[in-house]
Amino acid sequence: MTAVLSLRDYTLDYLTGSRPLRVLQDISLDIAPGEVLGLVGESGSGKSTLAWAIMRHLPKNARELSGTIRLGGTDLRSLPPRELTRIRGRRIGMVFQDPSTALNPTLTVGRQVTETLVNNRGLTRRAAWDLALELLGHVELRDPEALMRRYPHQISGGEKQRILIATAFGCRPELIVFDEPTTALDVITGARILDLFARLRAETGVAALYISHDLALVSRVADRVAVMKKGRLVEEAPAASIFARPAHEETRKLVAAVPRPENRLVHDRPGDRVLLAAEAVSVRYARPRLFRPPPPPATHAVGFDIKAGEILGIVGESGSGKSSIARALTGLADFSGGIRFDGRPIGSARDMDGAYRRAVQIVFQHPDGSLNPRQTVGEILSRPLKLFGTGQANLSAEIGRLLEQVRLPAAYATRWPHQLSGGEKQRVAIARAFAAKPSLVICDEITAPLDVSVQASIIELLLSLRAETGAAYLFITHDINLIRQIAHRIAVMRRGELVDLLPIDAVDADHVHPYTRDLMAASPTPVG
Amino acid sequence: MTDLLRRLMRTPQGAIGLILLAVLAAVCLFGPWLAPHDPEKMDFLGRFRPLGAQNWFGADQFGRDVLSRLLVGARSTLPMALAATLLGTVAGAVVGTASAYLGGRWDEAIMRTIDAVMAVPGLLLALLLVSTLGNGAGNAMIAIAVTFAPGMARVTRAVALTVRGQDYVKSATVRGESASWIIFREMLPNVMAPVVIEATIRVSFAVMLFATLSFLGLGAQPPASEWGLMVAEARQYVHQAPWILIAPSLAIAMTAIAFNLLGDGLRDAMNPRDER
Repeated sequence: MTAVLSLRDYTLDYLTGSRPLRVLQDISLDIAPGEVLGLVGESGSGKSTLAWAIMRHLPKNARELSGTIRLGGTDLRSLPPRELTRIRGRRIGMVFQDPSTALNPTLTVGRQVTETLVNNRGLTRRAAWDLALELLGHVELRDPEALMRRYPHQISGGEKQRILIATAFGCRPELIVFDEPTTALDVITGARILDLFARLRAETGVAALYISHDLALVSRVADRVAVMKKGRLVEEAPAASIFARPAHEETRKLVAAVPRPENRLVHDRPGDRVLLAAEAVSVRYARPRLFRPPPPPATHAVGFDIKAGEILGIVGESGSGKSSIARALTGLADFSGGIRFDGRPIGSARDMDGAYRRAVQIVFQHPDGSLNPRQTVGEILSRPLKLFGTGQANLSAEIGRLLEQVRLPAAYATRWPHQLSGGEKQRVAIARAFAAKPSLVICDEITAPLDVSVQASIIELLLSLRAETGAAYLFITHDINLIRQIAHRIAVMRRGELVDLLPIDAVDADHVHPYTRDLMAASPTPVG
Repeated sequence: MTDLLRRLMRTPQGAIGLILLAVLAAVCLFGPWLAPHDPEKMDFLGRFRPLGAQNWFGADQFGRDVLSRLLVGARSTLPMALAATLLGTVAGAVVGTASAYLGGRWDEAIMRTIDAVMAVPGLLLALLLVSTLGNGAGNAMIAIAVTFAPGMARVTRAVALTVRGQDYVKSATVRGESASWIIFREMLPNVMAPVVIEATIRVSFAVMLFATLSFLGLGAQPPASEWGLMVAEARQYVHQAPWILIAPSLAIAMTAIAFNLLGDGLRDAMNPRDER
């Protein structure tokens, strides 16, 4: 049987400033009809570039040096642009990582779906509309008729991804490329999308290339898995065996970095002194308007406490109000209710004085956004030092010490944020938080945008900083496996309410809230 | 800075704009020495003398050399336009960033005031200001700056609003930085790129607005050789000696084009993602 997609010795360079950068090196792979090939690797290993090379949508500075890409009997590299537009969508479909940017915000969903079907299936508008209704119904979207008339901002991320998947399958291509289709979604929504994917695939028998950095997920959906490292394919094996018996060192490294709930990284018990207590904290974003009812609050009377040196995990799907709690505790959002810090009551952001601001620090999710691009690392770190003590004289020595504390060379003080990798930026952000010698650090999904291996090293860093300074962590995440490794207690949030607050060894118990059980079940079982 | 220039020279718009501006700067600096004649020396025998060896760009209704008047007039035209733009940009950028930072009622109050000012057409507002302040080049400059500031404030606010949502600004708020630190050190450096580009494009508007004011008799006063004023004076002789009108008009157009090209070039050069 001939392969649907076949790459032979494909090599690609990006021309950058001084010299060409090798992005893909001698890639050879085949995808058989009806087969799903998983592609894993760290960020920067060339996974997405490979997807774009197959889609024939490369940036201008890409230079293909050798090799062939064949789709069925067609050599894609030799096709003129006009022919390629006939291949895209019709013979190769693609589903992107971020569903929120993959749909045009100014057109209704129905218009976009039918347009694709008209272009790629040669249907009339009427027939395309009927087919679209059928397709959307088939991916378990409620009331497709109404959904088709809505605009992308009026529907949720999970619904958008379902629409995109339905459209991709609806064009009946030979191959669909999935580029991390569930990364931007929360655990439960992602798990449902995966079930859908498995069902549609069984029905249509389409071949797929499934790119992800989540090993557990890939081993669930793929038949075979290929591992990439620095532009090379280093290992290729059936999904059932590759992570259980990894042959290549890179695969072993990836498997080792996967968080496992049974492998506890924190063994001590926190003290009894309550550091911070939130009492019925409600966050409401919009101001009350004259003629409009106020929107529902983002969090509804949430109460919990954090003991000195404790790691408290907050989990929940997106939109459950996890980040709103972090914003309330740092004074970024107005809240009602009260906070008690070290016994001192804090009623609003106004009560947060220098001492509170020093003691409570926050590290944000996106390392790119949390460092000012126009300040050097040294300047960024010097501000908290200047604001919270330590004299001017030993400022540079202090910056050096901070960088060393987060395992970065002291010479990084003169670098600009754009010269650092994502993991290094996150280390600088952590150093900035610890510059104030805090007693509570709020980590708002800080590992979500990072690779598993970088994530593991950041976690290791946080734990060693905790051992040094005794700081408590409020760790907001949607990675259940990760939080079960490190947290003392877990708070589960849903639609702005705290549904469960459990010690870590009780999350599997029988008396937990049904939603907690769903959440635990939706998180993928770690591989290996 | 040298890096920016190098990147600027790499795009054709940037390179042409930069070369034209270098020529204009040289004219501003050395105009009086380059001028072949005294710009105010009248020659009644040479009235309306066409383009030729004696007067390269011809002579005007008083027999004054048009080229010399252009070269000397650059000094009273370009620096004024630049100063007006700079003043308007700085004021607008600070107001816009502050408005975005303060948010809520303050933002609302500032932006509605700006809307009200912007409802008056630019030229009309400038005319009103000059007639209140009195005729003269300095007052015209202030009037143009005031006319530009609201537009710049709007542009800056739009950029600053996205910057305000960035985590580094939140981080500064959380550690208790003062408002002035956040506005001037965290936000302003990050909104400058689009503001600088907008400003270079506005310089050409300033040149034209300034020329218009002089044309209407409210900016530079005769016998100054300000370019707009030259156009105004030449208007009635357009059938007899079109070159008196065409020469300063071309000079104004060239300046406008140079700054527009520079703006386009800067937009590409200041985009850090454009790794060419």
